[in-house]
Amino acid sequence: MSVVTKENKNVWYLPGILTGLGITLKHLIKNLTNKKQMITLNYPEEKYEYSSRFKGNHILTVKKDGAIRCTACMLCATNCPAQCITIKASEHPDAHVEKYPINYEIDMLRCVFCGFCEEACPVDAIRLGPEWQTPGLNGANFTYDINYLAYRSQLKGGVQSVVDDEDRNKAGI
Amino acid sequence: MSLPNINCTINGVALSVKPGTTIIQAMSENAQRIAHYCWHPGLSIAGVCRLCMVEVAGNPRVQIACNTVVTEGMNINNTSEKVKDAVKWGLDFHLINHPLDCPICDQAGECGLQDQYMEYGKYNPEMAEKKQKKHKVVDLGPTVVLDSERCILCSRCTRFTDEVTKTHELGIFNRGDHAEIGTHDGKKLDNKYSLNTVDICPVGALTSKDFRFKQRVWYLKDSNTICNGCSTGCSVKVYFNKEGLFRVRPQHNAEVNGYWMCDEGRDTYKFVNKEHRLLKGRKFANASWHTETHAGVAAKEASGLLKTAQADEIALVLTGQNTVEEYEALLTTFVNTFKTKNVYHWWPQEAQAAEFDGLLIRGDKNPNTKGLKQALEKFNINTKWSDLEQNLKSGKIKQLVVLGPENINVYKDIEQKISLFSGAAHLIYLSSVKIPALENCSTLKTTTLVPVKSYIEKAGTFVNYNGLAQKFKKVTTVVSEALTGTEIAQIFAGENLKIETGNHTANEVLTAVSNTRKDQVTMDRLKKNEFVFSRGRL
Repeated sequence: MSVVTKENKNVWYLPGILTGLGITLKHLIKNLTNKKQMITLNYPEEKYEYSSRFKGNHILTVKKDGAIRCTACMLCATNCPAQCITIKASEHPDAHVEKYPINYEIDMLRCVFCGFCEEACPVDAIRLGPEWQTPGLNGANFTYDINYLAYRSQLKGGVQSVVDDEDRNKAGI
Repeated sequence: MSLPNINCTINGVALSVKPGTTIIQAMSENAQRIAHYCWHPGLSIAGVCRLCMVEVAGNPRVQIACNTVVTEGMNINNTSEKVKDAVKWGLDFHLINHPLDCPICDQAGECGLQDQYMEYGKYNPEMAEKKQKKHKVVDLGPTVVLDSERCILCSRCTRFTDEVTKTHELGIFNRGDHAEIGTHDGKKLDNKYSLNTVDICPVGALTSKDFRFKQRVWYLKDSNTICNGCSTGCSVKVYFNKEGLFRVRPQHNAEVNGYWMCDEGRDTYKFVNKEHRLLKGRKFANASWHTETHAGVAAKEASGLLKTAQADEIALVLTGQNTVEEYEALLTTFVNTFKTKNVYHWWPQEAQAAEFDGLLIRGDKNPNTKGLKQALEKFNINTKWSDLEQNLKSGKIKQLVVLGPENINVYKDIEQKISLFSGAAHLIYLSSVKIPALENCSTLKTTTLVPVKSYIEKAGTFVNYNGLAQKFKKVTTVVSEALTGTEIAQIFAGENLKIETGNHTANEVLTAVSNTRKDQVTMDRLKKNEFVFSRGRL
């Protein structure tokens, strides 16, 4: 820690105070005359637009037919540092799908929004979306289930995955 | 007459092996790594995967290790560039039609293809052909599912059904890249050893219906134990995590089971899981079940009643499903403390005990019948089951302690036996599993139910049909409150429970741990309730 010593004790404070008030007045006039350049927002009415790569609440993507894309491989759950993903897999009646999740839960209060799940996913089944304002009252449910993650009203019927089984089959993969 | 050993050099290490040993055997016995799929020590040699390539000095071409017998002075290596190149291309050919659906494949994490690919893989494949589409999710039988696309045609499973079970269900059909594993028309892969094909499958082509999609294998821990399904006593590995147990697989034991185990034995993890277990002590009195109590409290209450009873009013029933240590502890308590020799052996499979299917399965479904007999002999106890029946009916036996079976599926007579036991004025039933027959029994008088530990949760010894004593360790704890038979014997005798500390006393162990760090509160200070922080003031 450094020690500050006052060298000149007979100093006038008034000019310094007036300079400071002047700066405040300058910014007040600037903000009143030119509102667009104002740094602050009127928060609930105005919202900041984050970039499209912002990592917010999770989305489970869907296939062309609207079914959930996830194959329940559990790589996201394995990669998750907060261990907030719980998946229960089951056998799908369609032999080409084979495995699918019957339960997919994310504990949002545990999640650290690191995006490792998104990186681990081999079929673009989970993404971190743009939503970030998800407050809740005491006792609100922050463990999102499979239906909420894939089909909540904000997603308007689901976000389509870029990886498609039929296209891959046609390509001979 | 035995022939002299043969000397050879493998990867620069001089070895001496028995005549007739193949190179791959010599390598695996001496902890040398070699890639292979089709070779299995318990099966015949097929030589189809072409992966176990080795270079023998003086031979211009690489050759397979599984079908080459070691000869005198052979200089073998599998680490040269030539061998690595051969394995790399062999692996790439295996992967031409492999779907690479590892994320949804149950074998991922313990897959031969994944393992070899990490070591020898050609990370930039040059195969431009489209993958051959084959049958997926084929229902082979009651236990196994086949995925032909993942199959690499190593033929281990077909050789298993041909050579070990001799049931010949599986075969390879069609030619070239259309070749796939299948069963003959209308036949199912349905034998008592079918799940071994899943174990020996080096890829995820054969998967077990029971284990399918339950867990990813990297979430499971494993531990060795002894199967308690029958008196053979196979060495097994159980796979578990905090949610419970998920599967049982065989472990190589040349003296007992070789490389295999039966399908029946693979179900022995089920009754250990929490949903089947008795979690708390319970008491039945005045025609209703009372609230649950702690296991130790229930045992203590029962011991109070036992102590006040006359010696000839007490009887003990044992089954062949517990460890030798538990039998000895219980018998010591009954013979020395309660001064009684009324110990009876409940053995429903006595008539079928000699049955044997020629491979592993035996008619006696208890792992430790022999151990119980030895323990009874040691204490000079020689009783007949008919005496127990008579004494219960006449009301001579008032306090009956039953150490019930764990695997109640093989105790078909449990309902009638429980209605027999209910003749006792006070029945103390020690069980690891829930018993519906007991809870629904209409003739019950006073009954105490005490939860005990299953074979997974305790260390001990099983003596198999052959008199071979096999020790096993504790795997995990499922019901922490349950007591072992030894602990119950101690409670009955009025002793304190002992903590297993090897050769040291419990106090020695605690002080040895606590005095290792300077800033730690020492045991003597702790006893005086002094807390001194030598690291500095707070």
